[in-house]
Amino acid sequence: MSEAVTALLYAPGTNCHEETAAALERAGGQSELVLLRDLLSGASVLSRYQAAIIPGGFSYGDHLGAGRVFATVLVAQLRDQLTEFLDAGKPLLGVCNGFQVLSEAGILPGRAPGGHGMALLDNESAHFEDRMVRLLVSDERSPWTAGLSGRVLQMPSAHGEGRPLVGAAAPGCGGRVTFRYVDAGGGPTAEYPHNPSGAPGGVAGVSDSSGLVLGLMPHPERASMSVHESQDGFEIFRNLVRWLDHA
Amino acid sequence: MPIHGIYTVSRDDAEARNWLGFLRRHGYPALTDLAIERVFWLEGDLDVRALLPLLANPLYQTAAERSMLDPARGPIVEIAYRPAVTDPETPSILTGARALGQSALEFARLSRRYRFDGLTESQANEAAARFLYNPVVQRIREPSEAWSTLRPSGQPDPVRSVTLAGLDDQALSALSRERSWYAPLAQMKVIQAHEATRGRSHTDAEIEILVQSWSDHCYHTTWKSLGLLKQLSQATAAIHHPLVVSAFKDNAGGMEFYDGWVVTIKGETHNFPTAIAPFGGISTKHGGVIRDTLGFGKGAHPIGGTTIMGTQDPRLADEAVPAGALHPRLIVSESIRGTAYYVNPMGIPMLHPVYRIHPGYAKCLALGHSIGLIPREYALKETSQPADFALLIGGETGRDGIHGATASSASMSGETLAKESAAVQIGHPITERKFATAIPVLRDAGLIRSITDLGAGGISSAAGEMGAETGVELDLDTIPLKDHSLTAWEIMLSESQERMLLAIAPENLSKAEAVLDRFEVAHTVIGRFSDRKRFEARWHGQTVTDLEMDFLWGACPIEPTDVAKPARRLEPLNLPPLETSEDWSRAIHGVLGHYHCCDQSPAGVRFDSTVQGRTVIGPYGGRNHRMPTNIAVSAPLRGKPYGVVTTVAFNPFYGDIDPAAMARLMVIEAITKAVVAGVDYREMVLCDNFYTPRLRPDVAWDLKAMVTAIAELSVQIGVPFISGKDSSSGTFESAGRRIDVPPTLAVAVMGRVPDVKRVVTKEFKRAGNRLVIIGRSEGDALGGSVYADLHGQRGDCLFDGVDASAARELWDALLACHRAGHYVSGSAIAEGGVLLRLFEACVGSGLGARVDISVLGKAQESTADSCDGAELLFGEFIGSATVEIESGCVLDDLAVSYREIGEVVAQPEIEVKVGAKEIFREPVTNLESSWTNTFREVVG
Repeated sequence: MSEAVTALLYAPGTNCHEETAAALERAGGQSELVLLRDLLSGASVLSRYQAAIIPGGFSYGDHLGAGRVFATVLVAQLRDQLTEFLDAGKPLLGVCNGFQVLSEAGILPGRAPGGHGMALLDNESAHFEDRMVRLLVSDERSPWTAGLSGRVLQMPSAHGEGRPLVGAAAPGCGGRVTFRYVDAGGGPTAEYPHNPSGAPGGVAGVSDSSGLVLGLMPHPERASMSVHESQDGFEIFRNLVRWLDHA
Repeated sequence: MPIHGIYTVSRDDAEARNWLGFLRRHGYPALTDLAIERVFWLEGDLDVRALLPLLANPLYQTAAERSMLDPARGPIVEIAYRPAVTDPETPSILTGARALGQSALEFARLSRRYRFDGLTESQANEAAARFLYNPVVQRIREPSEAWSTLRPSGQPDPVRSVTLAGLDDQALSALSRERSWYAPLAQMKVIQAHEATRGRSHTDAEIEILVQSWSDHCYHTTWKSLGLLKQLSQATAAIHHPLVVSAFKDNAGGMEFYDGWVVTIKGETHNFPTAIAPFGGISTKHGGVIRDTLGFGKGAHPIGGTTIMGTQDPRLADEAVPAGALHPRLIVSESIRGTAYYVNPMGIPMLHPVYRIHPGYAKCLALGHSIGLIPREYALKETSQPADFALLIGGETGRDGIHGATASSASMSGETLAKESAAVQIGHPITERKFATAIPVLRDAGLIRSITDLGAGGISSAAGEMGAETGVELDLDTIPLKDHSLTAWEIMLSESQERMLLAIAPENLSKAEAVLDRFEVAHTVIGRFSDRKRFEARWHGQTVTDLEMDFLWGACPIEPTDVAKPARRLEPLNLPPLETSEDWSRAIHGVLGHYHCCDQSPAGVRFDSTVQGRTVIGPYGGRNHRMPTNIAVSAPLRGKPYGVVTTVAFNPFYGDIDPAAMARLMVIEAITKAVVAGVDYREMVLCDNFYTPRLRPDVAWDLKAMVTAIAELSVQIGVPFISGKDSSSGTFESAGRRIDVPPTLAVAVMGRVPDVKRVVTKEFKRAGNRLVIIGRSEGDALGGSVYADLHGQRGDCLFDGVDASAARELWDALLACHRAGHYVSGSAIAEGGVLLRLFEACVGSGLGARVDISVLGKAQESTADSCDGAELLFGEFIGSATVEIESGCVLDDLAVSYREIGEVVAQPEIEVKVGAKEIFREPVTNLESSWTNTFREVVG
């Protein structure tokens, strides 16, 4: 068991924190569920943790926009903690709604809390969809994807708002595409249903320039246990634990 | 305080594009474009620009202080919540504003403006009213209207007394109807007599409480009158099943799982609200049945669910839809939207999405199950004790859903559609999600004495039932309202969603409140349990109710029900012979494209089936995840191989022919589906959901016959029912015509397996393997079949292949084969016959099948040019299964009949032969187009 503790940061409406904890535990990592409210009240503080994950769900009911209220709280009330956490070079992962939070907060792709580098819009179908997808790991300079470059990982994707829109200013800010949806032939695709959101270029996951901050729409924690149809997502959690053990 | 308006639009609005397509398909082809603008109304002395980061993302949204919709392009309709109602988004806006330091924001509202290019103003208003808002809680805001305040406001009526003294039968019935009590005359007379005995008239609230508590929906008067409730629970008691933890006494039934855990099941219909307002009706259906799980024992956690719909054919011509009913296409597509809207944010995997049709479902069937998980030690409730606090948690109480219990017990007509629309509401899953997270924490800390959900009958029902043994005293002034114009009886009866009532011992109250605060769950002590055995409540200094519990729960008259054998006009099947290969092709494509067999994944993929990380087998599997699995397997205990397996059986066609036989077949079908997968029938329980027409002597006959059939069968096979629900209001009256639902029974199985890896799935595994039918595959099996329905026929008899002992022998044989590893894929035969099993196994594997139907039953003596071949391929031999065995496997010691019918082939095509003669051969991809098109056309 790794000494380092990962914060699973959740809010009312988050609904993937328990399975994320289970996946991390299987990978030999330790985690703690941390309510956003506990950071606000001072009952907990981000600096206690060596890594953080914002799991999926519908935080604050996705009112006003998926991830918007969570992001607003992060940026407006926890900016100092967040900046300190990022500056310390600690890994941060947002899955699904967590990715939406990181985008809305400006943390992805440019590590600029309060900025607007990218957004995740309604799927082209305007529907939530759950389907198994195949993801090509297109960048392994992230600790989360070390050793996985060129691999195709299979895991469930389940969201209604996963179509990335990258702002004009964003390309210069160093963000990188880490995962792309691929079709049966293994090539990146914008075609439905291999790409359920209609994401241009098949973009399913994006990291900042350091690779420490990663957001992805599909759910690695749902492809991590021995009972799951695919265990490809487990690699991402194992990578985190390895990185923490060597950091 | 000043009120500011901030308007936002999205520059890339997939939702607007989607509504455009939807409205064009649903009656507004003239619509050329649709634009949506949101307006945030913000009250307070504040700098609105400081709120912009919350209200709009500049990357794709534009915000302004005036509308950006050009009224010259089309009529604009603004939809807002009613002044007396709190917006669901208000708390989130206030949370975000506080985060931005704008505490001066006192209140906020959100309205939505739609611009309908190409429609007239009246068309625009009509489209909005039909699809875009719920008039009970929302309204169209006139452009000229100015807000004076955003805060909910309104003036309630006082408590009034209502005397029944001196009213004759006719007057009593008229009053019952006029007040939407829908109480039978006998109940009205008991209430009238009670008034005379106690010497004072009842308050409006007291009568409302009585008729709600005695409604068929809540008190099951029909079932009690026929002795049916007792029949099923006695059958279960007689079985003495060692795994049954709780049956028919709590909000759900519970079965022993492994390692000290219990799994629970409950099925609930919400037919009436779904028929009149499908989006709201279906979302609150899910909300309600999920709360039944949360209210099991001391609070179970939901780990899975189903959505099962029965409607008229969505492809019906507009003019064929009964007057006053919604078009079934609309009911189906709106119900899909409603399920996604509610269940996805709840974070509960959808395991069985099932859509069926029958011309009798003018009042649709809307069924949902909820599966739960709870530690054994918390699976049984305690009784609330005098002095315990009655703690209401969750949402505020509003005007929504008033008279839901009584209205849903009535039959439906075009008139009720208009009159009782108040019985329908929109659910708010975030509120329920919050307490679903908090309840296990409260439970595990030992803070819950008892818990129940607020569903039909609201506080009246929950507090009345919880305090039945002791008494309860409520102070309605404490109850948080979202609608300040509610009077006392409306507060008591409101069916506002997302609320639960807890009994908390005095010493635990502050600890419970701290947990609830942490998870941002609103909570209010609304009273205490007493030792007076009375249902007491006060409001604004007035007595709302002071009823004896003994009267409330002991005085409901159960009238005898007349029973008479129905006269069914059944005709034997008269199906045209299949002579040419074109005939066969048409028949095969027809069966695969039939609504009951077709690919329904365009609905199913809109629901999250993998959340919680427990799903082993979800609704779709095999290669490309397109094959319907018809069996769901979840591994609820993380890191453990134990599985909970669920299946459902629901066939509305069979009920037309012989309801009792249908009921037996549903039990056998549901169990066989699970047994083929490798689940021991001795480790299973059942859940029943009945839906029958409004009670008449012939309906009562059928109902009795169905219940008797399954009660007896369950004892004979030793598989107990542990939960169930009935709705006896499946009648729609329209333009002098009565449309009855077919006698309907949906059976769900919940079983357990020690190792999910041992579950056998349906898709073929290897070319060269042999295909075998285990069980009977001869006899009349086309009655009520999909194939007969294609010809507009039902027939006069159902397949009667299996009695209880034959079923047990068959299951024992299948389980022995499973233990021996004899088969590598398999599925139980149901609608669509052997053909659908073969086809789905091909879809799931990319392989093909070659079968010779001359080795089956009658085909041995006949030729392919008779209809018998169709019987073999399309016959619904319920209780039998098709399995794939490895080429070298020997089945000689099998104790039941079986037949080898062919083999798995590498080429992805289906080939059907009669002896040496090929009668059909087509690539699976050809067949797939018929299979996929049906439902895709329905949902668009």
